[in-house]
Amino acid sequence: MNGIAINEEFLQQVEALQTVVKNNVAGLFGGNHQSKTYGSSSEFADYRDYIAGDDITKIDWNAYARFEKLYLKLYLDERQLHTKIYIDASRSMGYGRGKKDIQALRFAATLAYLSISEMDKVSVFVIRENGLEEVISSMLGKESYVNEIGKLNQIEFYGDSRISEAILPSTVGFGDGLSVIISDFLTENDFENAVTYLVGKKRDVFCAQILSAEELNPKARGKLHFFDSENSDRFYRKNINREIIQAYKKALEYVQERIRNLCLSRGAEYLLIPADEPVTEVFFNKLVSMGVLK
Amino acid sequence: MTFLYPLGFLGLIGIPVLIGIYILKNKYTEQTVTSTYIWTLSEKFLKKRLPINKLVGLISLILQIICVIAVSILIAHPVLYIKGAANDYCFVLDGSGSMNAACADGTRFDAAKGEIASVIDESYNGSAYTLVFAGNTNDVIFENITDKERALTLLNGVASGNTAADVADAVSVAQGYFNENPSILTYLVTDKQVDLSENVTVITVGEQRENFALTGVGYTFADGTLTVTGKVLSYMSEAAVTVEVYLDGEETTESFKEIMVAFNEFTGLKEGEFSIGREVDKDASFTSVRVVIAKEDSLPQDNEIIIYDVAYENSCKTLLVSDKPFFILAMLKSIDNVTLTCVSCDKYAGQTGYDLYIFDSYGPSGSSGWTLPDDGAVWFFNPQSSLPNTGFSVQDEIGLTALSANDYKEDTALGKTLLQNVNKTPFTVAKYRQCRLYSGFTTILSANGNPVIFAGSNGYGNRQVVFAFDLHESDYALVADYITLSTNLLNYIFPTVLENSTYTCGETVTVNLLANSDSMRVAAPSGKINYFDGSNAVCEVTLTEIGTYTVTIVLNDKSVKTFNIYSSLPEEEADTVTTATASFSLSGEAGNEKRDGIYSELLIIFILFALIFAADWVVYCYEQYQLR
Repeated sequence: MNGIAINEEFLQQVEALQTVVKNNVAGLFGGNHQSKTYGSSSEFADYRDYIAGDDITKIDWNAYARFEKLYLKLYLDERQLHTKIYIDASRSMGYGRGKKDIQALRFAATLAYLSISEMDKVSVFVIRENGLEEVISSMLGKESYVNEIGKLNQIEFYGDSRISEAILPSTVGFGDGLSVIISDFLTENDFENAVTYLVGKKRDVFCAQILSAEELNPKARGKLHFFDSENSDRFYRKNINREIIQAYKKALEYVQERIRNLCLSRGAEYLLIPADEPVTEVFFNKLVSMGVLK
Repeated sequence: MTFLYPLGFLGLIGIPVLIGIYILKNKYTEQTVTSTYIWTLSEKFLKKRLPINKLVGLISLILQIICVIAVSILIAHPVLYIKGAANDYCFVLDGSGSMNAACADGTRFDAAKGEIASVIDESYNGSAYTLVFAGNTNDVIFENITDKERALTLLNGVASGNTAADVADAVSVAQGYFNENPSILTYLVTDKQVDLSENVTVITVGEQRENFALTGVGYTFADGTLTVTGKVLSYMSEAAVTVEVYLDGEETTESFKEIMVAFNEFTGLKEGEFSIGREVDKDASFTSVRVVIAKEDSLPQDNEIIIYDVAYENSCKTLLVSDKPFFILAMLKSIDNVTLTCVSCDKYAGQTGYDLYIFDSYGPSGSSGWTLPDDGAVWFFNPQSSLPNTGFSVQDEIGLTALSANDYKEDTALGKTLLQNVNKTPFTVAKYRQCRLYSGFTTILSANGNPVIFAGSNGYGNRQVVFAFDLHESDYALVADYITLSTNLLNYIFPTVLENSTYTCGETVTVNLLANSDSMRVAAPSGKINYFDGSNAVCEVTLTEIGTYTVTIVLNDKSVKTFNIYSSLPEEEADTVTTATASFSLSGEAGNEKRDGIYSELLIIFILFALIFAADWVVYCYEQYQLR
């Protein structure tokens, strides 16, 4: 990887952001996130009729004075979440001048910071071949973040990655936070099962597809013999002309649509992140417009 | 099909070169990309292609090879023949003077050329064309030319004539081609009315329009009165015509007369005679009279005639040096074209500028400084002493001598010429000078072997005649032979250069060169100049243009003598509305053997291939470099 992906200036810019978890989760620890059940937080949720045996301190006496009937005031419960970030560390993410690796690490670091800011725990995993390598484990608090986030810069991108084979055997938790898969998804290997599995574990799932400018809008023309960066046995040999380019763009749309539809059908989120787009743009505009951030 | 330049196929070498370039140019560039996944997937989204479309990648090469082959074939110049599609053509073009008459298409001659050009244009490629021009002479302008453009160019370069034309003779030339090839298509293009033609397609050009002409024009000048007479002919209708007379270079004149040109039942012509008088100062001189019809018509060439004073132009400017000129003057006065200046011996001081110098009994010694004139002919009577460059020496006086017919010498051509019409009457001389001839002289008359009359050229190349006796001491001046021989001698010394000043176009004019001529040039009315060698005694000039010819003779001393002659349109060519008809036929049975036609629309094919080639490269470049 070329240089340090994460710097202090960038982190200050995203500090103001907050993640919004659409599903209130049943975390084991209290945190800044609201649960579906009513708890002891100070944020009002609803009223209900008083039942004998209820805590009388929660009766709303103002409502009684008005309606002459006992109502119990309910408050949302708040729990601590565990954000798990999976980074595809295959060679296709790091090859060439596309800077997909930098973009992936910055995106991961930003998410981690936001989670830390929300008092959540954060773990970062690298998907390599068919396994996971834990780079950061249950990081909590900003002090821990500062100490550990630099480990991201040591990630190397090589080899192949098989997302489902790596995630399915791992411990992913249940209903306790957000799972983010960062990859270019330019693989014939299965990743659908991983998404389904994570959703089944009641986790919020977010698929971030990072593609370089050349992958989004290839400039190559003429007689070319392409070799795959991950496996030189895979190649593509053609006279690249307008017709081929049009077919390529259709194929790219197809791949994006396939991931988008998968996420939509599983209640997950999908976002295409061009590698040359500033990460702040991604967070300030795209994630906000998607409702992931507020 | 044959090829004019088979070496053009060397261009096919370009094909392997092209293939080599294509192979080098189309080598695949290896490149590693992050993933080939989408590229491979894109195969599914390619449109289904026909098997032939697999050749699309080779279209550039295929088209370029086709172009190379096509260009090579074009350089080799294939000639495709179509059997029996073309013809042989023989055109007889009337180039007589009447073809200059104006018509709707310019002149009749222009219209005739246009008719021939249209036949050539419409003929099939591969046809052969022959053009016979009937003018003053009948010329074959081109023969069996198969190149249309060349034939048209040569046709365009043919200029109309001004003479009468022997169309029948031109048709006989066409007969020769017809005899060789009975299938030849013969066209006669003329303004004549042709009532019968076999094996000849007659194309008549021009319409009948008004034309006037001058004829029989002459003048007399006596007692200060110039009288110009002549006749105006009208070939179409009766009309009032004004005739004008100009002297020398006058641009305006008050000498004119309107005459009625009316039908004359005796001659059957529409004609009007005129006589125009003009007072001219007796002392004034003029050298030409120009007569003009001041009325526009279809053929202006016959509306003007210029009569030059031929006697004036031929006059011999003579200096006579004599104390007793009686007999010589008598002789000279009997000859028309002598302009005489007479001085006594003591008044002679070596004057120059004369055509002829006559020295009678004049012969101061050489020490007096007198020398033989070098700018003209010389005639000695009774030479007194020997002088340098005379070609003879003077010796003793010989006494009474009787001369008879036997003493005349006719054994040379010059002697025969000079003694023409001489009766050889016997005469007597009281005494004569014995002369010794060095060279270049012909003795006409001799006594006892001594030359008495002789002629030849002196040391300056000028002609010279010597009478070795004094006319006053002889009875020769009293016999008729004196005048006859003197006239012959004068013609020998100073011949009449031109007999007439007015000729008909087409005539051949004989120009008698002076003895001391160095060269001669003849300028035609168009400005065209012909040069002649002055060593010839006689030159012949054929007149082919209408107007004034200027004959300039350059003498040995570089002085010049200029003569003008006028060439007029032949009278029969002035008749542009004649109804007289003629017959022109080719004898023999026409054949039906045709030539092979040539398909020559190859340029279009060449342009087509060039466009394909260019389009191919444009598409290639667009796909390779622009579509990004």
